[in-house]
Amino acid sequence: MAFDIDKYAAGSERLGWDDLDLEHFRQNPLSPETLRTLRYMADVEYHTVCYTRDLLTTPSHKDGDISTFMTMWNREEFWHGEALGAVLEVHGITVDYDALRASRLKLGWRDRLDPIKQSMLGKIVGSDFVAVHMSWGAANEWSAVSAYKRMADLETDPVLGELLRRIAKQETRHVAFYVSQARERLQKSKRAQKLTRLLLSKFWAPVGSSIMERDDVQFVFGQIMSGVEGRKEMKKLDNNIASLPGMQGLTIFEKALDGLGVAA
Amino acid sequence: MTTSPDPQVARPFDIREFTRTAQGNFRSELDLASYESEPLSAQELEFLRYAARLEAATMEHLRNLLVTATHKDARVTAFLVTWAFEKFWMADALDAVLEAHGLPRTRTVPEGAPRRSADEAIQRSGPIRRALAAVGLGTPIVAVHMTVGLIDEWILRAAYDHLRETTTSSALRDTIGRIQIIKTRHEAFFADETDWRLRDSKAAVRRARAALLTAAWPIGGVERAAVDRDMFETFVFGGTGGAARAESIGTRVAALPGMDARMGSVTAKKLLP
Repeated sequence: MAFDIDKYAAGSERLGWDDLDLEHFRQNPLSPETLRTLRYMADVEYHTVCYTRDLLTTPSHKDGDISTFMTMWNREEFWHGEALGAVLEVHGITVDYDALRASRLKLGWRDRLDPIKQSMLGKIVGSDFVAVHMSWGAANEWSAVSAYKRMADLETDPVLGELLRRIAKQETRHVAFYVSQARERLQKSKRAQKLTRLLLSKFWAPVGSSIMERDDVQFVFGQIMSGVEGRKEMKKLDNNIASLPGMQGLTIFEKALDGLGVAA
Repeated sequence: MTTSPDPQVARPFDIREFTRTAQGNFRSELDLASYESEPLSAQELEFLRYAARLEAATMEHLRNLLVTATHKDARVTAFLVTWAFEKFWMADALDAVLEAHGLPRTRTVPEGAPRRSADEAIQRSGPIRRALAAVGLGTPIVAVHMTVGLIDEWILRAAYDHLRETTTSSALRDTIGRIQIIKTRHEAFFADETDWRLRDSKAAVRRARAALLTAAWPIGGVERAAVDRDMFETFVFGGTGGAARAESIGTRVAALPGMDARMGSVTAKKLLP
């Protein structure tokens, strides 16, 4: 079904949590493990603008629907960062702009060259590259929904559970956009399918891998994706990707979790 | 002449408050019915079409900013995320006025051919050239982006002020006034950032001066249609008082840290038709 971009834009709101009692964490603090995972998620959300940059260097930005989506998406993700930041704040962990800046500076040369590489690739393969981005975005957003839902299920704290479910609900709309775009663009072009398949299988890595330390990535995915239930969720994610035109049989999530040494 | 109030530059700009209170969709609050009995002139509608394009071109502009060190500054990106959101809805409000006149929304109307003047060639650089050019420039580039953003706000303010002064439609005056209130905070942010960044670094001043020499106004102008740019320049900076409006912007440019009369007159001259 086609995604109604106007409806999405009109309904896009910053995540609300004023009605949630965050002060309750003062008596019922979250575990250090949970806080570490939340910190990771907050950083990833705040860094959405860096992913946007990579998208914008390709022909994607000329498409009206995509630029409308990116405007709203960026803001929603920023507020996910703010919401998670508010929970961390009650625990004495401050995610301020200077700290974020420092982690972006760490990205160094690789990050600096990335837009150039992306842009060149974008120029060479033209509009087929938009299909890659949309599929990539679908994979990322699918895994974000899974991560938030899994964490909400694993957490016994009702306030955190509710906050995570609210975030997951907005992420579900992001999935809908990326998937409808990816499906449409992949269906139109065999070349886009081949390119997407190649790049996803060779280069896709779990959300946050490019901006966080490896041990953080391992820790977080170990927390939320290990064990029988975790593997079940992973299979679901792989099936989602495999349902996109030309992506049958891809197992990028399994490969990624195995690569990180996440216990089955 | 400037009639809108100067934005209060409360230092430091409260970025959290700004992001928290961003103005979203306000279409339903516009008086669109009055255009049925009192339609706008063709010239006013043309102006609104162009203004809608300028306000909506945030992703184009973000692309040029984010391939440089500007994307590393989390305070600036928090601003830009919210700024883009507010501009989206300003463009939507302008579209609402156009649609009330039976015209299609801006994104479905093809844009004319851009100008091809040699002195603006550098502004047409794509992301590859911009990213390569920014390697090694470091943070002074952020000061350049803030300075250019501030001057762009001044230009749009002059344009909207002039439209409010010349229109006979009170509905349009209200809508434009509403948009200008939203833009007040954008100008305040850019003003705040420009001031401390230019004071902070000689390299930033050097870069900003170089950028103003090759600037094309308003921001993103090189992507816009030549006929629209001609119309905008003639309407805002032509005719009686036009040159004075351009000069007033030049004077403000000259007064920025590290700038001088030369930079002011270079900028003012670029605005004239």
